[in-house]
Amino acid sequence: MSGVFFLQQLLNGLSFGALLFLIASGFTLIFGLMRISNLAHGAFYLVGAYTAVVTVGVTHNFWLGLGAGALAAAIVGFGLERGLLRRVRGREMPEVLLTVGVLFVVADLVLWIFGGDPKSVNSGNGAPSGALVIGDFTYPQYRLFIIGVTLVLGTALFLAQRYSKFGAIVRAGVDNREAASALGINIDRVFTWVFVVGAALAGVAGAIGSGLLSLSPTSGTEMLLYAMVVVIVGGLGSITGAAVGAVLIGLIDAFTKVLFPEFAYFTIFAPMGLILVFRPQGLFGRVA
Amino acid sequence: MSERARVAVRWSVIGVLVAISCVLPYVLGSYYVSLLSIALIAAILASSINVLAGNVGLVSLGHAGIAAASGYGLAWAFRQGWDLWGQLGMALLMTLVASVLYGLISMRTRGISFLMVTLAAGMIVYGMAYRWSSVTGGTNGLPGIRRPDGIAAYWEFYFLVLFAFLVVTVALVIVGRSSFGLTLKGIRDSETRMVSLGYNVPAYKFGAMLISGAVAGIAGVLAVWHSEFISPVSAGFQESAMSMIMVALGGIGTVLGPLVGAVLVVLFQHVLSSVFERWQTLLGVLFILSVIFAPQGIVGGVSDLVRRIRRGAARPEVLVADFRPTPQHRSKIRKDKR
Repeated sequence: MSGVFFLQQLLNGLSFGALLFLIASGFTLIFGLMRISNLAHGAFYLVGAYTAVVTVGVTHNFWLGLGAGALAAAIVGFGLERGLLRRVRGREMPEVLLTVGVLFVVADLVLWIFGGDPKSVNSGNGAPSGALVIGDFTYPQYRLFIIGVTLVLGTALFLAQRYSKFGAIVRAGVDNREAASALGINIDRVFTWVFVVGAALAGVAGAIGSGLLSLSPTSGTEMLLYAMVVVIVGGLGSITGAAVGAVLIGLIDAFTKVLFPEFAYFTIFAPMGLILVFRPQGLFGRVA
Repeated sequence: MSERARVAVRWSVIGVLVAISCVLPYVLGSYYVSLLSIALIAAILASSINVLAGNVGLVSLGHAGIAAASGYGLAWAFRQGWDLWGQLGMALLMTLVASVLYGLISMRTRGISFLMVTLAAGMIVYGMAYRWSSVTGGTNGLPGIRRPDGIAAYWEFYFLVLFAFLVVTVALVIVGRSSFGLTLKGIRDSETRMVSLGYNVPAYKFGAMLISGAVAGIAGVLAVWHSEFISPVSAGFQESAMSMIMVALGGIGTVLGPLVGAVLVVLFQHVLSSVFERWQTLLGVLFILSVIFAPQGIVGGVSDLVRRIRRGAARPEVLVADFRPTPQHRSKIRKDKR
């Protein structure tokens, strides 16, 4: 493995990991506060991605597509939380089953509207495209752009959670829901906002991811699974865990695809299996 | 109605149902008999999820993976030219390997974690089936698996499937009523209490997974024999989610729930789909509505209704598993004694 090749794989891993972080952070945020694993997160990814594809196709502006994708996913998230999840609040299994149903319906509707053929956001249109060339080393700028976007969003998320008042409220809700609401915090409203933010993150991931990976109605489930593996490895409810898990899984994915192509899928799930056996709460999770 | 009369009624209803299902292949055409076989196979797979969900309160989203592992074992051995016992032995071995894998990574989890872990375990099987193409045939799968003589005709196969379904159902009822099954129910209602009573909870969960896996393995073999083909799709999320939906729609923890759910879903999938292409959306909406408004599923809801009509007349007969197995909701569990 030459140095250039190694660096390229490293960046491939990091950029895929960055995308995974965008999805997994929303997933873990929602889990941390609401104690549900929101399988409809895959549906948010789909909604964001297809909205972005359509918007970019019409306006030829990547940034508009990104915004529209995030907005559409946020609206769907809002509707799901207010319209459906609220009706079964506090009963964890029905909450999860409900999100499975939503994923099912959204994936089928997407198949209906857009067909099963893979789609992608046209490159260019204001997003970085082309290759970065430094001597022997060439690398697509779009992948570097993904890393950049994720660094910005991830830092913002981290700072907001650590230093803003809303972040403090969310952390209070994670630690003790009852005590937080006893202090006069409208925990229901916090739930909704966290849900909407998580959905918007998945929408952003969809919009960006559709320029990197091929997009089809099954992408939602695929990305959901990756997000789940990331979150299980990193620890449910921990943003730091999501970041570490995403980078880890991204790197494992990039290198095993080259080294052991036959077992590429397996090598992602194997570390997860080991973590589950030896450290069920994940690398950064707290014991429930 | 006295207790005795009620038992008599129940057994005669079961007898009539079995008799009808034995006569059906002589009345219906081959297409409908084959649909029945599909529904019964789906019901067996759903039963394997139901035994965990109903007894231990663990809802799996990855059981298609165990069935597929078993199916791949059979198909691979068939393609190697092994005889029937070799094929079944290979299917059994693969079922065992998959169940042990599932059991090991899930036995310390509960609730949502269990759901996520089984989902991931299913994806391990899917990933191997998809990528390890030298053995599994990759995306194309393994076609041309023929049924052995004796069950080659569609109606002979139907009787085999019916027999398997009846045996599995009776066996699972017996398991549920055994002391092992009662311990599982104890774990479902309060894991902490069972731990403090000295039960090795992970070992019980592991055992329950092996039983459930064996049932899923039977479904896997029958599914391959039915379609004479297996591909990675059969291990995928879609397949597992569909089986879970069957159980939840039919009624978690009820004896007939898996069958009712399976028949309903197969009707959607094969009959409704020819009229209305978006059957999956409709099924999803129906599922969402049932989760919100009828969390005990169809069988659970109906037996609840029957009980309410007969209130005071007799004791309820169907054990309805509580849908919320976490301890803080225990006060809401319906007691089955008046």
